[in-house]
Amino acid sequence: MKTAIQNPSRRSFIIGSAAVGSGLALGLNIPFRARTAHAAGAAPEVNAWVVIRPDDTVVIRIARTEMGQGTLTGLAQMVAEELECDWTKVTTEYPTPGQSIARKRVWGDFSTGGSRGIRESHEYVRRGGATARTMLIQAAADEWNVPAAECSAANSVITHAASGRKTTFGKVAEAAAKITPPKDVPLKDPKTWKLIGKPVKRLDTLNKLTGKQIYGADFKMPGMLNATIKECPVFGGKVKSFDAAKVTGMKGVKKVVQVGDSAVAVVADTWWQAKTALDALPIVWDEGANAKVSSASIAEMLKEGLDAEQAFVGNDAGNAKAAIAGAAKKIEAVYAYPFLNHAPMEPMNATARYTPDKCEVWCGTQNGEAAFAATLTASGLPADKCEVYKLMLGGAFGRRGAFHDFVRQAVLIAKQMPGIPVKLLWTREEDMTQGRYHPVTQCKLTGAFDASNNLTGLHMRISGQSILTAVRPEALQKGMDPATFQGVARSGEFEFGYGGIPNLLIDHAMRNTHVPPGFWRGVNINQNAIYIECFMDELAHAAGQDPLDFRRKLMAKNPKHLAVLNAVAAKAGWGTPAPKGVFRGLAQMKAFNSFVAACAEISVSGGNKVKVHRIVCATDPGYAVNPAQIERQIAGSFVYGLSAVFNQECTVKNGRIEQDNFDNYNSMHIAQMPKVESIIMPSGGFWGGVGEPTICVAAPAVLNAFFAATGKRIRSFPLKNHGITLV
Amino acid sequence: MRGKSRSSRRRFLAAASGLAVSAALPSTALAQLARTKPNAMPEVIGRLVGTAPINKGKVKLGVPPLVENGHLVPVSVNVESPMTATDHVQAIHVFTDKNPLPEVISFYLGPRAGRANIATRARLADTETVVAIAQMSDGSFWSDSVHVIVTTAACLEEL
Repeated sequence: MKTAIQNPSRRSFIIGSAAVGSGLALGLNIPFRARTAHAAGAAPEVNAWVVIRPDDTVVIRIARTEMGQGTLTGLAQMVAEELECDWTKVTTEYPTPGQSIARKRVWGDFSTGGSRGIRESHEYVRRGGATARTMLIQAAADEWNVPAAECSAANSVITHAASGRKTTFGKVAEAAAKITPPKDVPLKDPKTWKLIGKPVKRLDTLNKLTGKQIYGADFKMPGMLNATIKECPVFGGKVKSFDAAKVTGMKGVKKVVQVGDSAVAVVADTWWQAKTALDALPIVWDEGANAKVSSASIAEMLKEGLDAEQAFVGNDAGNAKAAIAGAAKKIEAVYAYPFLNHAPMEPMNATARYTPDKCEVWCGTQNGEAAFAATLTASGLPADKCEVYKLMLGGAFGRRGAFHDFVRQAVLIAKQMPGIPVKLLWTREEDMTQGRYHPVTQCKLTGAFDASNNLTGLHMRISGQSILTAVRPEALQKGMDPATFQGVARSGEFEFGYGGIPNLLIDHAMRNTHVPPGFWRGVNINQNAIYIECFMDELAHAAGQDPLDFRRKLMAKNPKHLAVLNAVAAKAGWGTPAPKGVFRGLAQMKAFNSFVAACAEISVSGGNKVKVHRIVCATDPGYAVNPAQIERQIAGSFVYGLSAVFNQECTVKNGRIEQDNFDNYNSMHIAQMPKVESIIMPSGGFWGGVGEPTICVAAPAVLNAFFAATGKRIRSFPLKNHGITLV
Repeated sequence: MRGKSRSSRRRFLAAASGLAVSAALPSTALAQLARTKPNAMPEVIGRLVGTAPINKGKVKLGVPPLVENGHLVPVSVNVESPMTATDHVQAIHVFTDKNPLPEVISFYLGPRAGRANIATRARLADTETVVAIAQMSDGSFWSDSVHVIVTTAACLEEL
């Protein structure tokens, strides 16, 4: 599979595309208009999504980013399903954002996040495949002088049944590319899908196994220099001065440059030379107003928000405050969730080459268009003089999506050395301390019972940081950050699952910090799932009821939420005795439009050593494009979710993040990984995400099992702060 | 009054259609991204220009065709004008068609300004069209527009 981005083929694609771009000046009122011409010698582009070579190889263009989550394969499956091509001959290719803009955004949105890669592009990529198939069949029919309706396509072969004539996609692709694309080609009934829903192997595995896969950090160009950078460790601070003369004589050092008003970079022959010089470079920072902020001062600010008068109401029903005031029994708990770093294995990096006529960037990004936008802004050049070439990402988890600070920096450095390609690669320490952190929050939950132990009211007060206020203030709704309520929202793709609570109030006292927040895999469902699902267990315990039965009573209006919960309970054997010393815990949530639930089985030794034996997980994502990939995403999300709850937090001291490497910000290890059993139960009629939703149910399921095992409720994280370790 | 503003809106749209990509291209992908509802920009422009036609030309609106986010989008407007007492730009108005409020900013100029060049930063709520209109001392209106893609954030759901 040629999913690796190799420079020669990439370059030839760009040249090929550039040569024909002018043929597209006419309005593209549907995104799948074929080009009528193509570069001599290049394979015909049937439409924007599909290129077919004479040897029947099908190149499927994928705009969304592959970063390990399998989107590349899933999207290709969807195009190929409608195209009726031979799956064994499918390869993929990334179009560039510059080409997309030049072609009036023919590939749509490049943004890859929010578990949207498949669910928000399935319709138009399938239509792209169907349109291309129709054109290929038409080309064959024209050649045979028969009605297209009498011809059919399967496995890259077109057949005219009446005459027994056959031809292949490769033979008619040239002619098909000249046909005016038909409009509104109908899509297959999901019931007839042959390739969608199959656990086909990923298209990008081989290159990763053989080491052929090029990641951003691996990228090399002739004459390339290497740079590394240090930004003011206190967020919002600036460079006051630096003494370049102290390091300019060091081996390999080419230049010491200021980048923007807050960072300094060293450019050298090798990366290690750049790092050594940067470490030796005296830099004086103007740390600004935030130099005294600490985790304790942030916690104090959040604590105040727990009881503050004013708060944004994200979800309510009845009158929760009155129900609590008149309760026969009241249960209250306060939880806290820390800042987290994305900590992808590959630190931020980008390679840039700038001349006054052209600025090019090579990088891993979750959003090629956003990287392109950052390139435009930093270079000051117009769109037709910029280009971004996407490289494989060594992890991202949200860090490479909404923020292209590393692209801006690379361009600003390259701009100071015109004509020379410069690869900027952050140190691990820079990556850890210049993150866009999972926001910090606290939560106070109050439950009200009547005299018969019925839950009559629930107040969930979230206090803490809003991501959108910092990242997309234009998306706030009269000041409220709707994303804060992910998983506990009134309706929609994050709908709260306990519609049976008669009096409900979920509100947010926004308390922002100077630490820049970002979208961390799962975003706000991580803490919201812990808050609500652990508290549900607390309420069940207070009412003397089984946690599953207690939840079921409140979920009558939420049948799909309930279905996944019931599925994990049944498979895990809830209600039947667990093996000796093993305890179970449950959690459920709707997130990114999928319904997910988990049942964890753990044992605890010595009161603090936790072994997670098994997690049974169910997901209803509407449609399951590649079940094998979904299973791996579930397991992978548990690695991320369990690592956080057991080990990870970013603390603030003197305005800066303290954790700077994996020795103090560790991931779980392979021997600690539980067995994960997945139930994939797509119920159809809607499209839900896969990469993120399940991340949030692992932690509360384990925490609830920990209570079952020990009788202890842990309400602040990570668990290592309580002496609890994962074994 | 109502009829009047409608007819001027139609004229505005006719004038803008040559410039505004969004108006000319109801593409599926763009429609999907258009999360924010159109605002009252045509009406607001109609109130400004009344029955006068909006001409294409003389105005050069500088906005990047796409931006990473809508926080602080650099916007510049340069208008060709000798800026004399008898022939100058009286005002430059900037509008958007998806921000909660269509009017972004108005600059009022006189011949002593010397040049009719302005630059500022604007917040854009969504992928949308930015329109600049220059009001001349002879009462004529000139316009330019740019369709700006505001890229979506990573894990942001439809809000």
